[in-house]
Amino acid sequence: MVERLSFYLERSSPLHRLNPTTKLVVAFTLILVAFLGPGLLLPSLIFLLILTPLSFVGQVGREFLRTTVRLLLPLFAFLFVMQSLFYPGGKTVLFGFWIFSVKLEGVRFAFLTATRVLVMVSSFLLLLFTTHPGVLLLDLTQRGLPASVAYILASTLQIIPQMQAKAATILDAQRSRGLDTSGSLGRRIRALLPLVGPLVFGSLVDVEERAIAIEARGFRSSRPKTSLVEIEDRPLERALRWLCLLAIILALGSRLWP
Amino acid sequence: MKLIDSIKKDFNTMTLVLIPVAIAINVVIGQIVVLLRLPVYLDSIGTVLVGAICGPWAGALTGTLSNIIWGLLIDPNAFPWFPVALFIGFVSGWCARFGLFRTWWGVIITGFLVAITAAVVSTPIAVYLYGGITASGSSFITAFLLQTGRDLVTAVLSTNFLVEPVDKIATALLAYAIIRGLSRRYLMRFPRAENVLPAESKK
Repeated sequence: MVERLSFYLERSSPLHRLNPTTKLVVAFTLILVAFLGPGLLLPSLIFLLILTPLSFVGQVGREFLRTTVRLLLPLFAFLFVMQSLFYPGGKTVLFGFWIFSVKLEGVRFAFLTATRVLVMVSSFLLLLFTTHPGVLLLDLTQRGLPASVAYILASTLQIIPQMQAKAATILDAQRSRGLDTSGSLGRRIRALLPLVGPLVFGSLVDVEERAIAIEARGFRSSRPKTSLVEIEDRPLERALRWLCLLAIILALGSRLWP
Repeated sequence: MKLIDSIKKDFNTMTLVLIPVAIAINVVIGQIVVLLRLPVYLDSIGTVLVGAICGPWAGALTGTLSNIIWGLLIDPNAFPWFPVALFIGFVSGWCARFGLFRTWWGVIITGFLVAITAAVVSTPIAVYLYGGITASGSSFITAFLLQTGRDLVTAVLSTNFLVEPVDKIATALLAYAIIRGLSRRYLMRFPRAENVLPAESKK
């Protein structure tokens, strides 16, 4: 079970001080360029020359690299083995053993796919490591994200740890009454209901009360809401975001007119 | 304008408060299933639940935000799969609107339709983003089909058709069991409660 609330790490770095939307836009740009741009090496260069140095600027370098490896290593191992052996249309055999043969085309394809996924996952990770989810949501709300969507996301982030704690309690309670959670498949399937039942019904009971509580506090009011926290947005960052748009258009252009 | 009004009606305060709980149910049950080492995901029970009692649009929103939360908290690999979750909520909502959530066999049909949709929607994502091979064990089936000469899209699509129904039918049945366990008074506070009440209790 996960104890932490999110990937966010509190540091004081230039990256942490950037406007959250700027970081979100940069993350999306890097991903789109990695998937649309030309060349076999582009995604790996984005990771090595942009994302990794940035993570050290943000003082989260070690955690960033460790989490990236933890999340992606199993996928990459799997990807390389499967694609180099089974990639359809591979002709150049690098080496063979028993009934298998490793083909160059498969390895190239696996490398490109793996580095693209690497850019996708690691740019989101960098955003999440350096941005508090609440601040990101607040900034997006001030830019026009519907307040109800922001409420749902913020409220979910609070409910999940509570529910995980509740699930752990129920698990302990049922185990102490003799529930088998590690036997044969049939026994494990039968263990699901006694765990899920109390958890779900217990959480659904709170819904009605919470609805009345937030309605009483003007949740459905359509007037503009003021905020206690001001989020900085410098002209330089606005310029950077336009630059990102340009990069996306260039990458798209290179795909459409090679 | 009628459509927008009917969508707005689906998003009453009860819906907006239920959605976070439903997303938490998705995440926490997903983790319990991993803990019990069951060969399914069951990570969209909450999405199907919202789709059934709050309508397809609320279900679609629940699915989408569910993947965003999963990406925020656990693994950013979840972000690109949000269209699959969106359609799971949307399709189960429509199935409920056509009365398939009143009987257990209707729920099995719902699970099957949701599975077909999920298989179709996830295929292009798996093919274009991951080259067809993802980290799940079912990729062995894909590799086998590729070896027997199928092209990539066919291989991924057939794999999905093989593995999705079990998971989605179990998901729909569990969501149905939850709904049956809730009192009528409680259900009536949600915008589409009439979708799930048994036929004989309708006026």
